[in-house]
Amino acid sequence: MKRLLTGLAVCYGLGIILNGFFRLNFWLILGAAIAVLVWAGLVFRNKYLSLILILFLALLSGCLNLANSARLSKCHIRNFMIYKNNPVYRVSGFIASMPELKNGQQWFTLQTQEVQADKLKYNCCGKLLIKMDFEQALNYGDNLTLTGSLKRLPGFNSSSRSYRDFLARKGIYLIMPVKDSRQIILRSGASGSALIRNCFRLRVYLEQIISRYLPPLPASILSAMVLGQKRNLPRLVNENMVKSGTVHILVVSGFNVGIVAFIADLLLKILRLRRKLRFILTASCLLVYCLVTGATNPVIRATVMGIIFLSAYFLKRDPDIYNSLMAAALFILAFDPLQLFDIGFQLSFISVLAIVYFYPKFEALICLKNCRIKVLKFIIAGCLVSFSAWLGTVLIIALNFRIIAPVTVLANMIIVPLATLITLCGFTLVLSGLLYPDLAYFFSQPTSVLINLLLNINQALVKLPLAYIYF
Amino acid sequence: MLNFTPEERKVALFVLSLGLAGLILNSLAKLNCRISGIVYPQIQLARLNINQVTLAELTRTKCVPEKLAQRIIEYRNLQHEFVSLDELKEVKGVGRKRFEKLKEIFFIE
Repeated sequence: MKRLLTGLAVCYGLGIILNGFFRLNFWLILGAAIAVLVWAGLVFRNKYLSLILILFLALLSGCLNLANSARLSKCHIRNFMIYKNNPVYRVSGFIASMPELKNGQQWFTLQTQEVQADKLKYNCCGKLLIKMDFEQALNYGDNLTLTGSLKRLPGFNSSSRSYRDFLARKGIYLIMPVKDSRQIILRSGASGSALIRNCFRLRVYLEQIISRYLPPLPASILSAMVLGQKRNLPRLVNENMVKSGTVHILVVSGFNVGIVAFIADLLLKILRLRRKLRFILTASCLLVYCLVTGATNPVIRATVMGIIFLSAYFLKRDPDIYNSLMAAALFILAFDPLQLFDIGFQLSFISVLAIVYFYPKFEALICLKNCRIKVLKFIIAGCLVSFSAWLGTVLIIALNFRIIAPVTVLANMIIVPLATLITLCGFTLVLSGLLYPDLAYFFSQPTSVLINLLLNINQALVKLPLAYIYF
Repeated sequence: MLNFTPEERKVALFVLSLGLAGLILNSLAKLNCRISGIVYPQIQLARLNINQVTLAELTRTKCVPEKLAQRIIEYRNLQHEFVSLDELKEVKGVGRKRFEKLKEIFFIE
């Protein structure tokens, strides 16, 4: 089998889907997996049978991982919830996410360590969503003790895409509303990962650089494009991007990871470092960038793919795009199989898969390689990439967001090259802000002009008749 | 020292052209104040003018429910034009949370 990793990832994913529908018993699957493992060991010399059994074992592993993730630990905070009389709990733990301000409320997740109810203390685990009605200076890793009632999460709608399900996939089942500053005690010291803490600090610093040189609106757009931070992004801008099918430019993706790899490699080349050391340092930069941007699915996918491409040099093998993409999927799903049902995960992988699969076919169909005018070739290639991605994702978008945007292909043809230029300008601005702040001011103005142009074009495209249809 | 690779030359060219564009814009802004309209995005691109927005425009955005959009327009037509966004609190159905959301959508000129 030429692409064993692709086969393994597909079977593993099928296993997750299978158990998602049928909810098979954990011990039953485990027994079957052990039996298949022994059988595969016995018929190891039979090439085809052992391959089939290995793929079947991957399928069972998917089932098993999902069944395991559905089982909560006995000490999970959810198991301490008492539904009678709505008692007051005292929960200790540390902040496991970057606190965010939304609609005048501060939100973050707390990694719980200890819970006290009815004067009895228990060690506990699991995450808790905290909603504070006031603003307080808090950071990732801060140790807190909170007092208040625990509530189940609201559903908001009865569809399969409810808020409750979204948070359940992240392992969050309960919320604690904090209305008064007396309910919160900030303990000394810090917990969590020092690497993540420093990456978050770096993100805040980089955001400050962007907002120092740009007015609020362009700064919010550049923060989304370069650092993946959308909290300051105006709702209407986001909505217009959704309507034109170009909202993906506001998400950190493979392109950004590629730029980071390119910049890191180039700077290390200037320092005349050895090739192997350069690759190791570039991979480290990618990991740090992944953490700085919040390690979302598209970034993890691109980072894993980038590292695989870099490590192909060490292994002296040609990198295969399908295998590297599937390795990234396996990496994410091994940690969290529920991500397969996440819309962001689906769109991220299917769009790349569609481009990789359809683009060469369309290119051959219209004999693009024979085109001698470079500019025309570039424009047609861009158009084909946008069309391939649209073709791959149109069904998922229509089913989940109930929108069909015929303007998408045209919008992407114009906006994607512009967004590419803005991202490059954004990285230049951030780097110059870090190294030589006086120069950053000059870089900020062309960046702002390009963002202005992007917003105007997008608004004009959305206003076209039949640009988008909600159904 | 000047033995640059093609990649390094491309990067240098990009950075220099970006700096040059910045310088041109900066000097143009000194000559003509209107140039800032081209450099910096206008607020209309990100928010709606509460005193000029139509019901159709408001309902087209998914940010405001249809009934609330009707009430906001009715309030504007019956009372007076909005002088401050705080007046939104007087519209029926606008609580503290909703007001925080609406504040991000509208602006007053």
